[in-house]
Amino acid sequence: MKQDVDCKETATTPVYPPMSSRQNQFEALVRGHSTDLYRYAYWLCGQDALAQDLVQDTFLRAWRALDKLREVGAVKAWLITILRREHARLFERKSMPADDIDDFDLPDPQATPERRTEESALRQAIARLEPKYRDPLVLQVLGGFSCSEIAAQLGLGEAAVMTQLFRARQKLKGQLGLDDQAAGVSEL
Amino acid sequence: MNCLEFRRRLGSEPACSSEDFVAHRSECAHCAAAHARAEEFESRIRAAFNVAVPANLADRILLAQTTEARHGGRGRRRGFAALVLAAAASIVIAVVAVNRPRSGVPELAAMVVDHLQEHVVGADKTGGPVPKQDVMDAFAARGVSLASVPDGVNYVHKCPAGPYSTVHMVMPERSGPVSVVYVADKRIADQVDFSRDGMRGRQLPLGKGSLVMVASADTDFDAIERVWKSAMGEAVAMSGSRDGVATGFAGPVQQSGSSGAVLAAP
Repeated sequence: MKQDVDCKETATTPVYPPMSSRQNQFEALVRGHSTDLYRYAYWLCGQDALAQDLVQDTFLRAWRALDKLREVGAVKAWLITILRREHARLFERKSMPADDIDDFDLPDPQATPERRTEESALRQAIARLEPKYRDPLVLQVLGGFSCSEIAAQLGLGEAAVMTQLFRARQKLKGQLGLDDQAAGVSEL
Repeated sequence: MNCLEFRRRLGSEPACSSEDFVAHRSECAHCAAAHARAEEFESRIRAAFNVAVPANLADRILLAQTTEARHGGRGRRRGFAALVLAAAASIVIAVVAVNRPRSGVPELAAMVVDHLQEHVVGADKTGGPVPKQDVMDAFAARGVSLASVPDGVNYVHKCPAGPYSTVHMVMPERSGPVSVVYVADKRIADQVDFSRDGMRGRQLPLGKGSLVMVASADTDFDAIERVWKSAMGEAVAMSGSRDGVATGFAGPVQQSGSSGAVLAAP
């Protein structure tokens, strides 16, 4: 009858580890996707601190809903969807003026001064894009999503996404003073 | 694909790898050159998008998550307690609170899960079936007479779970080990299936107590439920005829099933 008090046991291989496999899965998720997610969040909200908060909130929500994740291949799209919802929840009534994009001068130690200037100019040009052009471009370039996947994420038609991506690049080149031939887009 | 179609595609999806896109590029020197220029521009866009990521971002996220995981339960308990206190103001709220699952896990099962997370049974303790008499004895110590012991009980121990007295067992199933905990002094009203943190479980009334099963994989709880109901049903009949002591399973053995309410993970 007194065995109750001697209940705890130690073991190297637990028979019942309900947290560990889930925790491992989550840790792999964070280490594998936090970088891309932060960059996506940054270009979505335009501010470093907010982007960090968004990413953290996204992962905490993902942790709570981890049981719903069934396909490993869909994990990035799943996380992006969560992040977009978090962003909408927090900032849907707050548009992001281009001036809100901060921290343009994020130095790449490998880059030459000319290159840094060019990157900074390109970042400002990206920041000045209207969200309807910037959002699909971010998803394509950072997320590696196809036009159909972007269309699904944004709730748009694939043709509309293709048009927006085309125009996004044209606008960037226009802001940078590049002619279309130099960029190789529409010299026809 | 003609040149115009190629350029349109190039402008919207430079990394396109569709067959016709690639084929046209290899056939048309002008378009191939345009593609090369577009790729150069794309690399500049990529570089611009790749803003520096804050140091230790992943570690900070994991810290926030583990902190939430550790304290979330306590927070939810405080929330639950607050609901119970509100009973003084409203009997309706009290009824809701008492029946409210705590973060997807019913109260009794939550206590059992808390216990299981403290009382981790090592694989070295579950190498083979324990003597059936040990199981009988553990139940007897809880005031329950078993007529038979299901096969495949590889671990048994008398444990507390919250304020309750339990028999903690491990039954290895095809899908993995299942923690089977009989709570001798608390009978719940209904069967409930639950799911949380990657684990799945079921609690059901059994005898004068309740049976709680928890596993970290999909498990045939129906089968385990059947054998334990059978064991308890026989125990009632035998103890009633043998020594007249009712062990609490007064009626016929209930039909098992998985029709209990399923609580989604939070």
